[in-house]
Amino acid sequence: MANVKFMNPFVEAASEVLKAEVGTEVRRGTLSLQKSAMTTDDITVLISLVGQVQGVVLYGLSKETGLGLVSKITDQEFTEFDSLAQSGVAELGNVITGRATIKLSETGFTSNISPPTLIQGRGLQISTLDFSRIMVPLVTDYGEIMVHLALREAPPGVSSDRNFVPISI
Amino acid sequence: MMVQEPFSNRLHLDKIIDQVCGAAKKGLIMNVKYLIPFVDAAYDVLWAEAHFKMKRGQLSLEKGFYLTDEVTVIISLVGDINGTVFYSMPTQMVLNVISVILGEKLTELDALAQSGIAELGNVITGRASVKLSHTGFESTISPPTLMIGAGATISTLDLPRLIVPLEGPPGKMVIHLALLENMNKGANAAHLAVPPAPALS
Repeated sequence: MANVKFMNPFVEAASEVLKAEVGTEVRRGTLSLQKSAMTTDDITVLISLVGQVQGVVLYGLSKETGLGLVSKITDQEFTEFDSLAQSGVAELGNVITGRATIKLSETGFTSNISPPTLIQGRGLQISTLDFSRIMVPLVTDYGEIMVHLALREAPPGVSSDRNFVPISI
Repeated sequence: MMVQEPFSNRLHLDKIIDQVCGAAKKGLIMNVKYLIPFVDAAYDVLWAEAHFKMKRGQLSLEKGFYLTDEVTVIISLVGDINGTVFYSMPTQMVLNVISVILGEKLTELDALAQSGIAELGNVITGRASVKLSHTGFESTISPPTLMIGAGATISTLDLPRLIVPLEGPPGKMVIHLALLENMNKGANAAHLAVPPAPALS
């Protein structure tokens, strides 16, 4: 599979970020590859990649896991998934993805990431269409984070580098 | 694509300006100038592909989350403009549009219909990004993601959303624009490669 090589940067980034921010060890569970639509858990953070690697990264986690992580990061007990908790979980996804893209760029694949989108609601279908997804379960002390990587190398001729200098008007 | 009349001509500019002034007071003006390329593109594409004439409804700005409709196409923009665009609509609207485009009556949201509506979102967003690039904002769009299921909440966090309802014969489609100009534009400029000089032969 072409996109397995994109997996390790995400696993490394996630374990580094979660260790630094939350202080939890991360174990990787069994990988699987899926073509059909995913069914969401309570919380899904969606971030798109554009550039030499393109596609979508989804982080699925339960409400308890989200609350546990945010409580630990902010050092404040959260019982409800309010806007601060939402922002915290989305930012965690953003930091992990950002760090992973830096690692990807070190291997020669530059890409940019979109701002995170947070989806709440269990049992929805999210389809990445013709992109197959690698599902990487990351087990933390607070519960499992399921990372869905629907990524592929950009077709030849597509480059993230712009070949001109913008002139501010 | 042949379009008889640009859709932006039909927009009631004075009404928009009223709404924009209201938005500006709330510090939410950034979004509004990206509106017309998307409305134009949606109109052009639905007209060219399916001969549906869409009409724009009342604009609104929201900061909170939104409750999803049955089908949502999610596409992100990255570049001089960063953010996410959602196209949300009921299943019946998808079936009506895709049936006409394919020339075949669809009755359920199968893989073909899903692929079709995601592609439609992709074409609209691609066309809008070309229109945006004419005004000096270059951005790249991500591949589409399709979300099926009503009643979930989607939040774009600190990005306010401009909501543009489009109504027409196939039903109602709502475009949510959560876009922001990239403030790092100047900083990025220093890293850009200058095109190579033509080779001497």
